[in-house]
Amino acid sequence: MPHATGRVDAARAVVFAPLDGAGRAELVEQRLTDAIVSGVLRDGERLPSESELSRSLGVALVTAREALEGMRDKGLVRTRRGRDGGSFVTFDRDSAGRMLEARLGEHSRIELRDLALHVGAIAGTAAEVAAGRSSDDDLESLRTIAEHADLTTAGGARRAVSRFQLEVAAISQSPRLVREEIRLQAEAGPLLWLCLREQEYRERSAHAREQVIAAIRDVRPETAREATITHITSAFEWLVHERLELDAAGRDEASRTPEDGSA
Amino acid sequence: MSTVATHRGVAIAARVAETIDGVFATIDGWRDLVERRLAEGLALTADAIDPVVESFAMPALAADTLITGSGFVAAPGVLTDAEWHLAWWLRGAGGPTRLATIDDPSDEQFRDYTALEWWRVPVRSGVRHLTGPYVDYVCTDDYTVTITTPVRVGEAIVGIVGADALVDRLERELLPVLRAGSRDTALVNASGRVVTATDAGREPGSILRLDGLSEALAATREVRSSQEAPADPSRAEEPATGGVVTLPGGAAVVTCGDTSLSLVIQ
Repeated sequence: MPHATGRVDAARAVVFAPLDGAGRAELVEQRLTDAIVSGVLRDGERLPSESELSRSLGVALVTAREALEGMRDKGLVRTRRGRDGGSFVTFDRDSAGRMLEARLGEHSRIELRDLALHVGAIAGTAAEVAAGRSSDDDLESLRTIAEHADLTTAGGARRAVSRFQLEVAAISQSPRLVREEIRLQAEAGPLLWLCLREQEYRERSAHAREQVIAAIRDVRPETAREATITHITSAFEWLVHERLELDAAGRDEASRTPEDGSA
Repeated sequence: MSTVATHRGVAIAARVAETIDGVFATIDGWRDLVERRLAEGLALTADAIDPVVESFAMPALAADTLITGSGFVAAPGVLTDAEWHLAWWLRGAGGPTRLATIDDPSDEQFRDYTALEWWRVPVRSGVRHLTGPYVDYVCTDDYTVTITTPVRVGEAIVGIVGADALVDRLERELLPVLRAGSRDTALVNASGRVVTATDAGREPGSILRLDGLSEALAATREVRSSQEAPADPSRAEEPATGGVVTLPGGAAVVTCGDTSLSLVIQ
């Protein structure tokens, strides 16, 4: 079943959705790492078994095993043998923060801009279409997500953004927009929403949800699109700012290194 | 002139109801099975009920039918070994799989399903209900409807049984029926959402916004529940097709039996 059924948590479903293209262990590792670092998967939580992972992600068993080994090496999961055994998330705030910074460092400003455009195109169109296609029940489920958003943690705020955008995509009644939303969230969600580490941005995201809900309620497609894209743009601008800071810090570091002979 | 259109509309509405009746009859059979087993003394526990649900869900999902999901959801607090309980199976590439659910209310991922349409409406009205169409993003990414009906022990509702079905399969069977009419005809759910329509401009999934339509659809829902709900728990076999309401703009709204769907003829 569904959207709006509440039978499964949407933010989690995204994490375990099938992977595109060749099932490489690094992709699996990246997806699960992002989910842990961004708080969608929690400290101490038991991960699906290797065979369950291979089935839900659509990769070979050996690939799933390799990915879990990689995460073990990074200290992100711990494996216990025996009857209550399995792989468990071990989350350490400091190392998670460093990992996300490293991830941010891998992307150029142009790539980040491109990503924000793509995410905005999908989420903005979904919101625009949803404004014409929402029933009272759909509005109610959006309100429920907004009311239950946990703004006290970055992970809680991230889950709320993920659920809300997925629900809006579902209300657009377009299976393709939903699929693309899921794919983009899995690929880029943790990076794009890094700003939710700050309380101010968590409150902004709650405000954006209220605006989108009001626009959908009043059947104002353009406003729904605009509010969605403005929210994504603010997350992107935070990222670019952070990226420039990282760059500056990196240059300072380099100029202090005596071996570095460059001018 | 309007009499002729209305007359044809009633006939088309009856045929829409007939087309969906196959799925309805299947779900009624599941309900009867669960009710019979409970009447025979089957324990009100998840452990006892799950194998019964699995016994009808697995064959339904393995066969080539419209059905892509099937199961039972318990009323909270009714089962002695599980406060909240869902037993739902889904069609999958490698055969039917059971939906993994969070039944622990203290878990942050838990959601109270009694507020949701597929639970709320049939439990309140006492009769089956069709929820959707909607995009099923958790399982198949397909465009789906969910049909649910209450399960009783005596007078008390102890849960619901139901099925998921793909809209494009449903549309393939329903559109020819709608085309039998000479006017633009749309099939809408109780929220006014288009399931399918003869007019290319009326897209499945869009909300039909006509003056007075939502009031007319709400009225047909009330008629359904007052006619069929508490008075006869064994349920009327013959759906009361044919309530016709004319909207201010001239369109006719015709209910399709107890499918919770209506025709809008313009």
